[in-house]
Amino acid sequence: MIKRLKSRGYLITVKRVNTFWSIYRSNRMGMVGLTILLFFIFIAIFADFISPYNPYKFSLNIYAPPSWEHILGTNDVGQDILSELIHGARISLTVGFLAALISTVIGGSIGIFSGYFGRIDSLLMRITDIFIVIPSFPLMILLAAYMGPSINTVIIVIGLLSWPYTARIIRSQVLSLKERVFVESAKVIGASDFYILKSYILPNIMPLLFANAILNVSGAIVSEAGLSFLGLSDVTYKSWGMILYFARIRGGFLKGAYWWFIPPGICITLVVLAFTLVGHALDEVLNPKLRRR
Amino acid sequence: MGLRRYIVKRGIDTTITFFIIIIINFLLPRLMPGDPVSRLIGSRVQMSYEERIALLKTYGLDKQLHEQFIIYLSNLLRGDLGVSLSRYPTPVIEVLMYGLPWTILLVGFSTFLAILIGTVLGIISGWRRGGRFDIASLIVALATYSTPVFWIGMLLIFFFAVRIRIFPIGGAFDPEFITFAFSPAYILNVIKHMVLPTIALTLILYGGQYLIVRSSIIETLTEDYILTAYAKGLKESTIMFKHAARNALLPAISYAAIEIGLIVAGAVLTETVFSWPGVGTIIYNAVSDRDYPVIQGAFFIIALSVLLANFIADIVYGVLDPRIRYG
Repeated sequence: MIKRLKSRGYLITVKRVNTFWSIYRSNRMGMVGLTILLFFIFIAIFADFISPYNPYKFSLNIYAPPSWEHILGTNDVGQDILSELIHGARISLTVGFLAALISTVIGGSIGIFSGYFGRIDSLLMRITDIFIVIPSFPLMILLAAYMGPSINTVIIVIGLLSWPYTARIIRSQVLSLKERVFVESAKVIGASDFYILKSYILPNIMPLLFANAILNVSGAIVSEAGLSFLGLSDVTYKSWGMILYFARIRGGFLKGAYWWFIPPGICITLVVLAFTLVGHALDEVLNPKLRRR
Repeated sequence: MGLRRYIVKRGIDTTITFFIIIIINFLLPRLMPGDPVSRLIGSRVQMSYEERIALLKTYGLDKQLHEQFIIYLSNLLRGDLGVSLSRYPTPVIEVLMYGLPWTILLVGFSTFLAILIGTVLGIISGWRRGGRFDIASLIVALATYSTPVFWIGMLLIFFFAVRIRIFPIGGAFDPEFITFAFSPAYILNVIKHMVLPTIALTLILYGGQYLIVRSSIIETLTEDYILTAYAKGLKESTIMFKHAARNALLPAISYAAIEIGLIVAGAVLTETVFSWPGVGTIIYNAVSDRDYPVIQGAFFIIALSVLLANFIADIVYGVLDPRIRYG
């Protein structure tokens, strides 16, 4: 019996994924975003194979403009810019994903507990509202300055300060789920809170949580670029923001080495835009109210 | 809920948050790993032993944490946020107060421009949904919204200050004006310096307002009273501005409150790129000098300003839209 139910559940999941995909595919902006995203994720994963040079290796060929040898030229110590960008994708995306993971887990848990257990709701939401009001970027700068420049610090600081909106959105979704018939009936039968959370609430907020996580990644990448640009990250991890930091403090950009500082900004813009497009497309697909009337 | 009760309730919430910000500000430098004393008053070679002891006493760093808090509060009441380490012995508050007017000038003007541009474009775009103008401005808005502001700043400096030298590469005025008082030449000089940073900041800020207004207009257009207005045979422009825009603008008023994080982060980074002498550049310099009291004080001032801005936005919104008071 249980086995049959489980296999039926599997079929429903497959069917749901198929419907989901067919709706998502019709969202043009979402598809553009997904394509850009997959492109950069591919680059980040296979950076070692794709990149033409070692991005950390010095050479005598400094400030070389774009040529066949160095497609995007070199910087002040002769490092190949294209290789820097390719490896930078890996660092920027990793920081973005990890920080978003932290903030989504925190925001998701607070949202779920706050929405489901009425007793702690007002306390948790008060805390959330305070975190919404406190300007997070200056606090990130402060914490990163105290803890010293390190890539882990940057990830943790961004993750710890970017959860409030997720908490709010998840909470309101849980609040409405809690009133649904299937949750009520499970309660009447005598299901425990843990069971209800695990079997009814969590599966139903997962899509929303996922869409939110995607938007959190884009926010985290922007924050990382900003912190790196202020010199608050580890200079040995050259993310796109860090490349721009170097281009500025080593004067490359005033000297007119456009091949050094223009490409990293394009990469950041494209990736952030892609995450935003995918996040909103997911939101639209999963939330029928938002679909085009 | 009446308007007065609503204001009182918001006021109480704001006061609570205010105290929590004070507590965070007190605890952070004392509880982070490392030596809090050197972080708060520095450990400089040129500082004599007597000076150090005097500073320890002023900030109560030789006492228990709860006693320190009392001293901290009374210092705060007198506007004492500590002493800058890199410009010792200038008080932090003096360093920040020099920058604050510059920040307010740049951020205030850019935010105003962003709201204006975002609103106008949003109304037109929402009205012509799916049209060529709508698609084009939507793509531009999404792109600028995703672009790091400091990179836009670098591009502007590169093209309009390095390649074509029509604007200065940074600062708020030329060195010869440093001793001059207000004069038309001085004001002109400041305006010249302000053009590029204003463009950069406005570009990344208008997108949010544009998107809110646009979707709000689209939402409003499905309302019955718009159909009624059409049925009455009113002119399209009348419906657009008198009926649709008016109602659609309500949610957009809270823009500044929603996007305040973006505004603050954008301001810090823009000021850094353009060396604009505001709080953002002060933060950047303090970060490179490891001048912790200044970073800490800057955070405090920014948090207070944001809190105040939020409170004002809440009140304005409550006055304009009675529905919010019952929420």
